[in-house]
Amino acid sequence: MALLELRNVTRSYGELDALKNVDLSVEEGEWLSIMGPSGSGKTTMMNLIGCLDKPTSGEIWLDGTELSHLSGKALTKVRRNTIGLIFQKFHLVGHLTALENVMLAQYYHSLPDKQEALEALDRVGLAARASHLPSQLSGGEQQRVCIARALINYPKIVLADEPTGNLDEANEAVVLDFFSQLHAQGTTLIVVTHDPEVGRLGERQVNLAHGVIEKEVRHALACPLLPDQECATPEEPCDIRDLEKVMA
Amino acid sequence: MVFRALTRQVGRRALIALTVALGVSLSTAILSVMWNIGDKVNEELKAYGANIVVRPQSSAILSSLYEDADTGSATLAEEDLGKIKTIFWAFNILDFAPFLSLDASVADSTASVEGTWFNKTLDLPTGEQAQAGMKNLRSWWDVSGDWLSDCCDDKVMASSSYAAAHGLTVGQMVTVGGPSTSKTLKLAGIYDSGDSSASDLLVTLKTAQELAGSPGAVSRIEVSALTTPDNDLARRAAKDPKLLSAADWETWYCTAYVSSIAYQLEEVIPESVARPVRQIAESEGVVLEKTQSLMLVIALLSLIGAAMGIANLITASVMERAAEIGLMKAIGGTSRQVVFTILAENLVIGAIGGLAGYFAGLGLAQVIGEAVFGTSISITPIVAPIMAGLVLVVIAVGSLPAIRLLLKLKPAEVLHGR
Amino acid sequence: MAADAKRARRAMFTTMIVRALSRRRSRMLVALLAVTVGATMLTGLSAVVLGAPSQMGRELRSYGANLVVSGNISTSSLPSLDAAVASDDVVGRAPYRYAELKLNEQAVTAAGTDMESVQSVRPYWQVSGSYPTSGQVLLGRDLAATFGLKTGETISLAKVGADEAAAMTVAGILDTGGSEDSFVVLPLEDLDKLLGEEGKLDVVEYSIATSNLDAAAAKLAQAVPGASADPVKRLAKSENTVLNTLSSLLGIVAVVVLTLMLITVATTMLAVVTERRSEIGLKKAIGASHRELLREFLGEGVLLGIAGGVVGGILGLGFSQLVAMQVFARPIDVVWGLLPASILISAAVTVVASLWPVGRVLATDPAIVLREE
Repeated sequence: MALLELRNVTRSYGELDALKNVDLSVEEGEWLSIMGPSGSGKTTMMNLIGCLDKPTSGEIWLDGTELSHLSGKALTKVRRNTIGLIFQKFHLVGHLTALENVMLAQYYHSLPDKQEALEALDRVGLAARASHLPSQLSGGEQQRVCIARALINYPKIVLADEPTGNLDEANEAVVLDFFSQLHAQGTTLIVVTHDPEVGRLGERQVNLAHGVIEKEVRHALACPLLPDQECATPEEPCDIRDLEKVMA
Repeated sequence: MVFRALTRQVGRRALIALTVALGVSLSTAILSVMWNIGDKVNEELKAYGANIVVRPQSSAILSSLYEDADTGSATLAEEDLGKIKTIFWAFNILDFAPFLSLDASVADSTASVEGTWFNKTLDLPTGEQAQAGMKNLRSWWDVSGDWLSDCCDDKVMASSSYAAAHGLTVGQMVTVGGPSTSKTLKLAGIYDSGDSSASDLLVTLKTAQELAGSPGAVSRIEVSALTTPDNDLARRAAKDPKLLSAADWETWYCTAYVSSIAYQLEEVIPESVARPVRQIAESEGVVLEKTQSLMLVIALLSLIGAAMGIANLITASVMERAAEIGLMKAIGGTSRQVVFTILAENLVIGAIGGLAGYFAGLGLAQVIGEAVFGTSISITPIVAPIMAGLVLVVIAVGSLPAIRLLLKLKPAEVLHGR
Repeated sequence: MAADAKRARRAMFTTMIVRALSRRRSRMLVALLAVTVGATMLTGLSAVVLGAPSQMGRELRSYGANLVVSGNISTSSLPSLDAAVASDDVVGRAPYRYAELKLNEQAVTAAGTDMESVQSVRPYWQVSGSYPTSGQVLLGRDLAATFGLKTGETISLAKVGADEAAAMTVAGILDTGGSEDSFVVLPLEDLDKLLGEEGKLDVVEYSIATSNLDAAAAKLAQAVPGASADPVKRLAKSENTVLNTLSSLLGIVAVVVLTLMLITVATTMLAVVTERRSEIGLKKAIGASHRELLREFLGEGVLLGIAGGVVGGILGLGFSQLVAMQVFARPIDVVWGLLPASILISAAVTVVASLWPVGRVLATDPAIVLREE
C-alpha cells in the first residue's frame, strides 16, 4: 500500500469546491510536485495532507491510518509523528533562537535534545547561527532553520508549501539542494509550488486546476542537481536512482 | 481610510471602545458622587440633630441661667416660622421644629412639658408647601407606641424615665394642669431619648399653647441646616459680621456657613437670636472634610487607574498591529500619516466609547446614590468636559509610545517574519 | 532515564516561558503594568475600605463623649475606670463636678473639670482667650454678656452660704451654643478648694472609638462599685448610621473600581495574547497538543500574575497608608492577608484572561491562522 493515498477527496468551502473528487497516491521515497496557479486547490491539498484540515468527503490514508475520521487530538499526534512541515513564510517563533525553534519540535514530539538539534542545524549549515533570533537571520537562513525543524523528528513525509517563494536565487538553490539530498536519503517529499523550475525536480508532477487533477507528468530521469538536463545518460547522482528503479 | 479601518476588525475595536466606555462610566459615576458627597453626608449627619437654635432675644441670655423662671414675656411668634423657608439659604434648611416649654402639674407633682410640631405641612408665604417637625430631629429616639401627629391635640407622649417613675403605660389617660388651663390627654407613646435633656411630657404645640395660655407663642426653634464647614472668614464673621469688609460680607452671606444661616434666620424672625450648636456644627465640618478628601483621593486614584488601564490596552492593541504599520510604511506612508491614521482611528473609537460610558456612568451614579443614600445624585455638568479631556489624553498617551516603538521598525522586518 | 527525560522537558518548558516573557519585553511590560495597576487598586482599595470606617469613627468622636459614667464616683475611681477600657480606643476622658456658686453675689452653675482632657472630649468648644490655669475661669458666653464681663477681668467666686470669696481672673469666654454658655468653668482643684471638699465627681465623660459601646459601658460600670455607665444614645445611634453609610459607599465604589480593573487587565491580556495567534497556529501545526499550548500560556500567566500581584500588593498597601495619612493623618492597620489575596486574584485573572483567547485560537484551524499573515 502507498504511504499516502487520497481517495475521491472533496473539500468544499460553502458553495465552492476547492478540491473535487481527487484521487492521488504517493509511494514511500517518492518526490511529488504539486503545481497549479493560485486558486487551483494547491494549498487545500497541502492542508489536507498536512493534517491541518479535514476533507468534506472522501478518505485520506496516511501510513495505514484513515485521517478523515480522526479527532483533532489524534490528527495532532499523526502530524507530530509523521509529517515535517516547511512553509513559504518560514513561521519561526520570534522570541526563540534558531536552536530553540528546532528544539521546540522535539519538545512537542517527545524529548528536547540539544545535541541532536545542534547537529540538525549543522546539517543545514547553521551551527554557527544557533543562538540567533529569527529576526537576526536572513530569509534563506530562516528557511534552513525551518527545514532543520521539519526534519528533526525523522518524519515519514516532508511537506513543503512554496518553500522557495520568499527566497532569492542563491538561497533557492541551497534549499533545493537539501531537498535532493533528502530525496537521495529516501525521504518522501511533497512540494507544493507554482514555479515550474521547482516542480520539474520531482519524479512526478501533479498539475491542479479548479480543484481537479488536470495533468500528471512523470519525470522519469529527473535530475535535481541539473534541472535543465534531461539526464539521458545516467550520471551522478541520477544513476543511483535509475539503478534502483531498474532493480525494482 | 479611517472608517475603512474601523469597519474591519470590529472585534478588537469593540474591545477598546468597551474598555473606554467602562473607564469613563466608572469615572463619571465616581466624580458625580464625589461632587454630591458633601450634601449627602451632611444629610446623613442630620441624624445628630439640629445645628442651630433660635431663641427670643431677651431670653437667650436669661433662659438657661434661670431655667425654671417663667419666660412667658419673651417668646417668638409661631406665625413667623414659615419665613424660615424664605431665607437666602432656604433650600439648605432641612428641617426645623418650634418648641414651647412649660411646667405643669400632673397628679400632684411637677412635670416639664414641651409642645412641638411633629411632622407638619406648612403653607409658605411663597405659595409653596414645606414639611417641618421634630420627628427627624430626634432620629435616635426609641419610641414604643406611636408618635403624636399634629392634627390631633388630645394626646401626649412621655419620656421613659418619667413613665417608669409614675407608672404610666400607653393608652392611659393623663391629666395635665398648666398655668392657664388643664387638659386630659391620652398617652400615645413613650420615648427613650438616652439622655436627661428631654422633657418629661411631649404634646402638640397647640396643646402646650393652650396649657400655658399663650396662643401663638414659641420659646425655641431648632433648625437643621446643610452647612459649609467653617473657614477663617466664617470664624471672623461669627464674632461680628459688621466688622467684615463689604466684599467679605458678600462672600460670607452667600456661603452656607452655619453663622451666615444663623444670621439670616435672625433677619427673618423678629426679636430672635440664632446660635450655632457648636457640638453639631463643628463636628459636621470635621466629618465632612474627611469624607470629602477620602472620596477625592479615591476618585483621583480610580481616574488614574482607569486611565492607565485604557492607555495600556491601547498600547497593546497598537503593538498588535505591527504588520499593518509596516505595510503602511512599505507602501509609502510617511511617519506622520501613519501616526495620524492610528491616532484618528483610536480617537473615533474613544469618542464612541466615551459617549456611551458617560451616559452609563450617570446611570451608575444614580444606582450608587439610591443604594447608599436613598436619594438621587444630581448631574454635575463639569464632569462631561473632564471626561472628554481624560479620554483625549489617555488615548494620545496610550497610542504614542507604541507608535513610536513601531515606527522605529523597518517595514521589511515587520512584513517578513520576525 | 525517565527522570532525565522529564528534566529535559521541564527545562525546555521553562526556557520557552522565560523567553516569551523576556524577549518580548515591551509587550510583556504592558501586560505586567496592567496586572500591577490592577493589583495595586485591588489591594489599596480593599485596605482603605477595611480601614476607613474605623478611622472615620475616630473622627466622629469630635462630636464629644459617647459614654457617661455617673453615680458614686470620685477622683480616686479614675484609675480603675481607665483600666477597664482599652487605652488605644479612648480618644478622650474628662471628669466633671457641678456646683452652685455665687459669682459676684449671684447664683450661677459652675463646672469643674480637667482643662487638658476636656479639650479632647469636647473639641467643639470655642474659647476666645485661653483655657484657664489655676486661679482662672472660663465664662460661658451668655453669662459673660449678662454680667458684662470680658477676658482679663477679675471676679469673685464663693460657695453658696459661705462668706469668704476667692478672686479669680477670666481667662476666656466659652461659646458652645449649648448649656455651657451659661456656666462658669474652672479647674477641678480650684472648685474643690472653694467647696472645701475634695475628690467628689458627678460625671466622667468618655469618648471611645469602638464598635461595641455597650460592652465598654458594662466594663466601666463593673470597674467601680456604685457607678453606672451609659452610652449617649444620640451619638451612638447616629454614628452607626453615618459609618454604615460610609462603609456601603466605599464598598460600592470599590466593587465598581475593581470590576473595571479586572476588565482592563483582562482586555489587555486579551490583546497581548491575540497578537500571538500565528505563533499558536504554528506550534499547533508542528505538533503541539492543545494541552501543551494551554500549559505554556498558563505558565506565562501565572508568572505574570504573581509578579504583578506581589508588586501591586505591596504598592497597594503603601498606597492605603498614604491615603490614611493624607486624609486622617493616622496610619491604618495593615491587613497582611490582602497580599496573598492580591497575588492569587492577579494570577487567576491573568490566567483566565490569557487562556480564553488561546482557547479561541485553538478552536480555529491552524491552517487558517497561518494563512492570515
